[in-house]
Amino acid sequence: MLWLALVFPEWPLQARFRTRDGTQALAVSQGQRVIALDAHALAQGVRVGQRLADALALAPDLIIRSRAPAAETAALKDAAGCALHFTPRVSLDHDALLLELSGSLKLFGGLDRLQRTLQRTLAAAGFESLTACAPTPRAARWLALGKPGQRVRHLAGLPDALAPLPLEVTGTGDAALLPLRDAGLRTLGEVMALPRRALTLRDAGPLLTLLDQALGRQPDLRIDHSAPHRLDSRVELPVPRQDSDVLLFAASRLFNAACARLAAAQSGIGECALELEHERQPPTVLTLRTGQPTRDPRMLASLTREHLARIALPAPVAALRLQATDWLLMPGRSRDLFGAQAPSLPETRAAASLLVERLRARLGHDAVHALSGSADPRPESAQRPVEPGTARPGQARPRRPLWLLTEPEALAERDGQPWRHGPLRCLEDSERIEAGWWDGLDTPSADEALRDYRIAIGPRQEVLWIYRDHRPPHRWYLHGVFG
Amino acid sequence: MKHRNAALAPVLQQRTDIWAANDLPDAAQPGIPSGHPALDAELPGGGWPVGELTEVLSDCHGHGEMSLLLPWMAAASRREGWLVWVTPPARPHLPALAAAGLHTSRLLVIDADRPAERVWALRQALESGACTGLAGWLNKADTAMLRRLQLAARATTLPLVLFRPLDDRHLPSPAGLRLLLSPGPEHALRVDILKRRGRPASEPLHLRTRAIHPPATPLPPVAIRSPRRPALTLIA
Repeated sequence: MLWLALVFPEWPLQARFRTRDGTQALAVSQGQRVIALDAHALAQGVRVGQRLADALALAPDLIIRSRAPAAETAALKDAAGCALHFTPRVSLDHDALLLELSGSLKLFGGLDRLQRTLQRTLAAAGFESLTACAPTPRAARWLALGKPGQRVRHLAGLPDALAPLPLEVTGTGDAALLPLRDAGLRTLGEVMALPRRALTLRDAGPLLTLLDQALGRQPDLRIDHSAPHRLDSRVELPVPRQDSDVLLFAASRLFNAACARLAAAQSGIGECALELEHERQPPTVLTLRTGQPTRDPRMLASLTREHLARIALPAPVAALRLQATDWLLMPGRSRDLFGAQAPSLPETRAAASLLVERLRARLGHDAVHALSGSADPRPESAQRPVEPGTARPGQARPRRPLWLLTEPEALAERDGQPWRHGPLRCLEDSERIEAGWWDGLDTPSADEALRDYRIAIGPRQEVLWIYRDHRPPHRWYLHGVFG
Repeated sequence: MKHRNAALAPVLQQRTDIWAANDLPDAAQPGIPSGHPALDAELPGGGWPVGELTEVLSDCHGHGEMSLLLPWMAAASRREGWLVWVTPPARPHLPALAAAGLHTSRLLVIDADRPAERVWALRQALESGACTGLAGWLNKADTAMLRRLQLAARATTLPLVLFRPLDDRHLPSPAGLRLLLSPGPEHALRVDILKRRGRPASEPLHLRTRAIHPPATPLPPVAIRSPRRPALTLIA
């Protein structure tokens, strides 16, 4: 067994300000006292345990939020979702994560690389973490708190590794530690050196149990975290903001966490909703569609950028929430013999549908379309705009113009000849199109066509497609251009 | 390679250290055949230059301007991917495209009003890696936009053909190839190569790009008799 503990320094702050960008002094309070703060606040003299009024006096632009246990739980579950990519055995432990890694080391190229990738993944989702490894989960947690970076591979090495740690890493609370402190005990090593009977007499029973678990002398069962197959996570901005760079940065936290979670489930999403919450108004909802299942955070970010460029936000955004319910399985892709991954047909298709969605995100849904053929002989009905990818091929007809006018242009007539900036000379052959009469059978309908099409040469030698309408008043019309 | 002096030609072919000024330089990548051999002979690389912006300047309408591109477009549409047309000047007529051999189901038409949006759409299409051919119509463009398009095109192996109004021919352009189209004699399309890599072109080309070849003296229109509606009897 090899357990990796991930602890998050200043966890209440990290959970509350996942979108921090290191430019403002931030703090989290509980009961009028500061309980967590960032480096900026520390530099200005703010300390843990200070009264809020004192803290504000020291750092007037300090942004303070009260502690939110629900947000901390949700954030820890988000972080656990990211960690699931590396091992299925992830358990939540108050404000830390415990990962059993013995089965994953080979796949991720050893403990060093796994740990680096894991911490990078978490950092992209807005979590800074410290780690330690040990054969038991509790020892890993204590080491991560007391001596980050330490790695103990064997049970036999545990007593020596744990000995210098202060008693506070056990997290049993001041009341339980007080009798030991009174006896002058400061570190775990000093406690381990005492006879058990002496400790039991000093009410240190609960601590002894924990110590036994940490040293592997008693079982310490952990329940694997099972993440649901849907995404719903939320981040708050330190201050409500409207500029798209800030919003994109905050959204990227969500996307990175979501995509790591999707990678763990070998899934992707084809659609997700990004809610931009305002303070006193209903949220602005951006629906991001990728066309093909994806778990690429950059793709989602670029779609968001297009949406943000198009809409006007009614108010500054206070929080962002990402939701996606329909997960689609994304099978993995094998490399070829030489390790290369050539773009396959499905990839070209994925890129093709992504292009359509990206263009639509900015230009609007109707601005992008394909053309589908139809059996209707009326030239204006021979093609109709359809959803890209659903177009059917049309019937090929020679002697037809490349461009069709949206509305036929009525032509003047002089001496019985059609006229457009000069006389039009018609070619010999004509094509009669008689269609649409079935629309109205007895009553002549507006869509009915009874036309003789001619190819005509204009005064500038341009080749046009004109027709004479057989319904009164028998006018000439220009309908197409041989471009 | 054509040399006026027949005796000199074999000598010049042997000597690699002599460069003939009337040779077109070898393009870094061979071009995509345009389907018009006369045009290919005048283009460096022997076709539409790839990874390069090509400008087509024309005000004429109905002289086979778009048909100039159709052989290439038809060949491109046989491969998987989009054939992107950004804001064509009118509605494409499917039966004509199909007759030219184009797989019309791969055609993607994008409508955008502002020039900046059209340029953006073209760049997105270029960068997506999902296109086999691109053509755009720009009624107004500044040099910065064209420069951006040129840069986006460089990263690809596609020709990017841009239709621009004739008045823009005096404006500077980063395009590697600029063609000016105008009506030529006998219903041909006159192509002047304004700019290309290598020596400037001197003589215009006259291409027959359309499938329609009107006779030199078209006949006067025939009087058309009014047809009768199909006889239909409804039985109540």
